[in-house]
Amino acid sequence: MNVVVCAKQIPDPAAPGELDPNTKTLKREGKLILDDSDAYGVEMGLQLADKAGGGEVTLVSMAPHDEVSGLRTALAMGAAKAILISDDALQGSDSLATAKVLAAAIKRAEPDLVLTATESTDGYTGLLPAQLAELLGWPSITFAKHIEVTDGKAKVQRQTEEGYDEVEAPLPAIVSVTAGVVEPRYPSFKGIMAAKNKPVDQVTVADLGLSADDVGWKGARQEITDVVPAEERKAGEIVEDEGDAHERIVQFLEQLKVI
Amino acid sequence: MFEWTEEQRMIRDAVRQFVEAEIAPRRDEFEFGDTPPYEVLRKLYKTFGLDVMAREQFKRRLDRPDGGGGLLGGDGEEVDPKVRANTVAMPMIPIIELCRHSPGMVTALGVSVGLTAAAIMSKGTREQQERWALDLLTLDKIGAWAITEPNSGSDAFGSMLSTARRDGDEYILNGSKTFITNGPYADTVVFICKLDEGNPPDQRKILHFVLDSGMPGFDQSPPLRKMGLHSSPTGQLFLTDVRVGRDRLLGETEEVSGGGREDAKATFSIERSGVAAMALGMIDRCLELCVQYAKERVQFGQPIGEFQLVQEKLARMEVARLNVENLLFRYIEILAHGKQPTLAEASAMKLYSSHAAVEVTLDAVQLFGGNGYMSEFHVEQLARDAKVLEIYAGTNEIQMTHIAKDLLRR
Repeated sequence: MNVVVCAKQIPDPAAPGELDPNTKTLKREGKLILDDSDAYGVEMGLQLADKAGGGEVTLVSMAPHDEVSGLRTALAMGAAKAILISDDALQGSDSLATAKVLAAAIKRAEPDLVLTATESTDGYTGLLPAQLAELLGWPSITFAKHIEVTDGKAKVQRQTEEGYDEVEAPLPAIVSVTAGVVEPRYPSFKGIMAAKNKPVDQVTVADLGLSADDVGWKGARQEITDVVPAEERKAGEIVEDEGDAHERIVQFLEQLKVI
Repeated sequence: MFEWTEEQRMIRDAVRQFVEAEIAPRRDEFEFGDTPPYEVLRKLYKTFGLDVMAREQFKRRLDRPDGGGGLLGGDGEEVDPKVRANTVAMPMIPIIELCRHSPGMVTALGVSVGLTAAAIMSKGTREQQERWALDLLTLDKIGAWAITEPNSGSDAFGSMLSTARRDGDEYILNGSKTFITNGPYADTVVFICKLDEGNPPDQRKILHFVLDSGMPGFDQSPPLRKMGLHSSPTGQLFLTDVRVGRDRLLGETEEVSGGGREDAKATFSIERSGVAAMALGMIDRCLELCVQYAKERVQFGQPIGEFQLVQEKLARMEVARLNVENLLFRYIEILAHGKQPTLAEASAMKLYSSHAAVEVTLDAVQLFGGNGYMSEFHVEQLARDAKVLEIYAGTNEIQMTHIAKDLLRR
């Protein structure tokens, strides 16, 4: 079974991020790393291919400056190859434009299953999985906490607030996975050393048969009008004990409906 | 000039992630709970495929016509320096990363794989290598290398009292060993002793025997209490009339070059370079903790990093880190070009880096003040652990005499 995993390469969250004041988008000048939330999809893909007794995992990624550092991490884990779309025309792409580009790349790989994270750690829109499914015309299942593939179907436990739903979809399908789906493996030393020689197919927007007008700033249907700092957390209330502190605490907890 | 490659940095990041997830949270258990380090070290090996790599390398080495040469190539064999550099540098990365949190783990691992298995691989017959070394190289079994005795430390061979006496086709072994890393738990022990033929002790041959845990007359003590390195179990070994066949005599011959003394010296050279990698990990971690603390700890209304006496400590730590890293890089380059450092060069490397580790870790305790003296802030453990680097693998005083003698011989 061939699985495509959408692997986003993002600025290291451990380093202080910076916004471009003109475009109000995250600066992506330095080295990028594999988004942690995509490591779960890579691991799930590897396990599913392994269980099926054949097939491989192909990574699909869109990143500036031919960046492959994050892809190397996923290749070291065991993915077989990658398709990297890197093109100046992609700068400013919103999630729909990104989905168009990724969908075109995914078609090239002809997968049985596409795995994504539920959302990226830098953008957090969470829109991409559904947009991909719409563009590809394939079924979409979101928030998977467990996946099994049998008889040409993906059987998924879909995380809900109360527990989980059991759902299934015919393949090919798009499934977004939560951080609970599997524990990502560490890349082995051999895997790391082999990653450098694994194929990364670098393509442009034109290679995918798309017009530069459909992507980047030109193709964006979304505009970031303003970015403001998150509201600072308000200082807590200090309860001076005048003999009735316990009652006031109970009242406070009742207001929160926790007791 | 050597510098870490992209792959080596990836390996460093992956090992660091493993150590921070699997070892750092269990520090108290390993430090104060007598939990042996072997289970987590085996997990490290399995996680990164090091057991599989060890098995493959072992097979490749045995398949060579001369059975030797190792990964760095045999005499006259052309090996790309970059490949050699990678072969030397790669094992240093887990040493450095483990030492950032638990230097004892490196000692336990290094003695089992680097000393015990290496001794069997260099001196043993093919049958002995297959019988004992492979399981040690994969960490399926744990090894100990027993040379030190209560009355023979730096003067390892001169004062050695452990003996082997011939008895028909067999040998009877007697003696006591102490400060033996992995001694309490080792499955396989390389026991170093003198062949007693009734001749004067200083003329006796040095022989190496392989013992299995549980052999009649062979006792292993519980772990000894010590200043630091708590995650590395250290013990005593007692041999009372342990009867062994010739199959347990390494090389299955009493005729060893230099009376058996030269082989042990070759082992010392490897051990000394490993100390530099350990020192680098400890210095690197201290520096990281100290820089962070200097930014966060506020006294007299400002972060203590604003004070020049604190800055002086940080600067000296960085100089030590750069120097030790450069020594290590130089060592990698020497081996990458098919050469070997002299024993004096290995001694200089060990002397400098162990001293730097002690100085930096103690300065880190001082920079942290009262907090530094508390276990919670980790630097006190690294300071206790660092001290042994000046003592084992040849005391620093012995290193100095090696360096000086080499200079005077020129």
